[in-house]
Amino acid sequence: MKLAIDENRCKGCNLCTKVCPYRIFREGKKLNRKGIAVPDLDRPERCANCRLRNLYGRQLCGVCQLTCPDQAIHWIEEEPYEPHKVAIEY
Amino acid sequence: MTPRIEFWQGNTACAEGALAAGCNFFGGYPITPSTEVAEHMAAKLPKKGGVFIQMEDEIASMASIIGASWTGARAMTATSGPGFSLMMENIGFAAMTETPCVVVNVQRGGPSTGQPTMSAQGDMMQARFGSHGDYAIIALCPATVQEMFEQTAKAFNLADKYRVPVFLMADETVGHMREKILIPDKVERIARKSLASGALPFRAGEDLIPGFGQFGTGHNVHVTGLTHDERGYPCATNPKLHAALVQRLVDKIELARNDIADYDIINPEAEQVFVAYGGPVRTVQQVLHDRRGGDVGFLRIRTVWPFAEKALAQFKNARRFLVPEMNLGQIAREIERHVKVPVKSIPKLGGELHTPAELAAALEAKE
Amino acid sequence: MSFEDWFRQDRLPHIYCAGCGNGTVINCTLAAIDQMGWKKEETVFVSGIGCSSRAPGYILTDSLHTTHGRALAFATGVKMANPDLNVVVFTGDGDLAAIGGNHFIHACRRNIDLTVVCMNNQIYGMTGGQGSPTTPKGCLSSTTPYGCAETPFDLCELATAAGANYVSRWTSYHVKELEKAIRVGLETPGFSFIEALVQCPTAFGRRNKFRQVADHVEYLKIHSLLRAKRDRMIEKGEQIPQDMFVVGELTRRNRPATGVKP
Repeated sequence: MKLAIDENRCKGCNLCTKVCPYRIFREGKKLNRKGIAVPDLDRPERCANCRLRNLYGRQLCGVCQLTCPDQAIHWIEEEPYEPHKVAIEY
Repeated sequence: MTPRIEFWQGNTACAEGALAAGCNFFGGYPITPSTEVAEHMAAKLPKKGGVFIQMEDEIASMASIIGASWTGARAMTATSGPGFSLMMENIGFAAMTETPCVVVNVQRGGPSTGQPTMSAQGDMMQARFGSHGDYAIIALCPATVQEMFEQTAKAFNLADKYRVPVFLMADETVGHMREKILIPDKVERIARKSLASGALPFRAGEDLIPGFGQFGTGHNVHVTGLTHDERGYPCATNPKLHAALVQRLVDKIELARNDIADYDIINPEAEQVFVAYGGPVRTVQQVLHDRRGGDVGFLRIRTVWPFAEKALAQFKNARRFLVPEMNLGQIAREIERHVKVPVKSIPKLGGELHTPAELAAALEAKE
Repeated sequence: MSFEDWFRQDRLPHIYCAGCGNGTVINCTLAAIDQMGWKKEETVFVSGIGCSSRAPGYILTDSLHTTHGRALAFATGVKMANPDLNVVVFTGDGDLAAIGGNHFIHACRRNIDLTVVCMNNQIYGMTGGQGSPTTPKGCLSSTTPYGCAETPFDLCELATAAGANYVSRWTSYHVKELEKAIRVGLETPGFSFIEALVQCPTAFGRRNKFRQVADHVEYLKIHSLLRAKRDRMIEKGEQIPQDMFVVGELTRRNRPATGVKP
């Protein structure tokens, strides 16, 4: 799974950046068409839900999604063969 | 019900009329002179599987009956002047959200704490215009214990049919007097208009009445006091929508006023016509009885709001309307708007009914 | 099923300001409700007036958006008339404790089977930032331009004293704990009161030196004192700092409740 921020809803409050336990976000630099600096995914490979949801069959962590006041965070299936950086855990 | 004769107090008859109509929720607060309605409901409702709850104040009472009504219950409350004033904000909410409910106001001397144990009819204008903004309601006025029973039952039908708060504007006289009453075997029941699955909960057809999306039936209705569109969603900054909504709420009742109207016409050829509702009806009846002639007309109104001016037009020879009221001429003012002949208001404050002598003297007086 | 399915998608994005804590609390409430396995057609949301009370307009169930302060009275009518419905009340600090104070204590006294989520942003947000009964002493608002001179309510103590069965307080920082607390509240029969301290960046934060949303959330995090820690501090006789507030499950008991589903 990969994390996607809905640009129609995000208002750039950066609470997700603040609360993520794995610190996968960083504050955005570029303004989008609405004038909002949507947070960038700095280290998406550390997101527990992205990596392990399919393995465990249920949602993990999800603190950013619960915190986001605008319901802008979702997880979507990746395209087949989509390249992703992965950190290997032992 | 077994048809039978009883000797009841007006308030008891009111509560029994509600029970006969299928009332299954009463949320109230005690206030003289309407407390007997609450007490009777407290005793009888639980036995019929209904819910009685004494709320912390009249504001909460009105709120609780609106909430109950949305779950499909036939809900009612009973109060008097000071409580009526407190209920006004939520009455506006019921009118705006088109919630069917019945409010009994056993009127007492006002303003303010006034005369708790004496009769008056001082809340008639307040029933129509008490809450802020433009809206329309239905108000019934019983003059006998029999009418307390029948009109309370009818109030539920009107409320369900028109999706509006209906007021039973009794007074302490009718509320506390004891009289013979005939209990019918059953009371007709008109149900709320149903809402088709997927239909918009606040869209109305020609009769201007939307279908009722009862809570718990999967309609997912959002009910709000804000100006709302046909889906029920708030759209408070849309001028056309607000105008259309408020106009529909008023037209729903005002355009149907001839259907809702309930009155008796006696001696329509007369030149002097009494117009009365509630307690003073008894005095006028006595005056007509004493005169034994057809020379005095009488318009006995049972539905004061919406005011059916058509009834006045039926008195073609009327040269003067006399309006005895236990207030300073609230409905006389409404009558003046509709007729070209003089309207003589006969107010009586203090809590006592007009005497037949007073009304007879008013008939003889030149102006 | 996730909590996202409970939203009216055609009504989003909502009117809340950027960074408003209300959005977070709504997410937590819906996540808790989703976990309960409740169906949309048997759930009713009731709310009063204010930013918090706009929430039911965004949720895909039957909902009642009532007059200011009276949400609990309406909810009492709904629940008593049909105890099979699950009734959740969204309210705010002004709606609940100012104009709705009387209904609050009576609902607690009756211990009626409702769950009340109070989004306490310590200000009247929707109307532009006036002081509320929970505005901390000394804070600025549009009606307390010289600093609030009155002592604020402790809503949880009020609920406990008036008789609620379950009382708990968390903040919009503690999302997982808040979700769990709401879940316990939904399960507990009787009156469950969950106070969620939230940030209001536009009305409160702007006037009270929280220039960024994250600063206010950080403040809430730093000044929350876990209930267990507070109890230990009291045992040891330590002084609890004035500006800390206790979070966690504060009351849980089994007083007789009204309106419980038979």
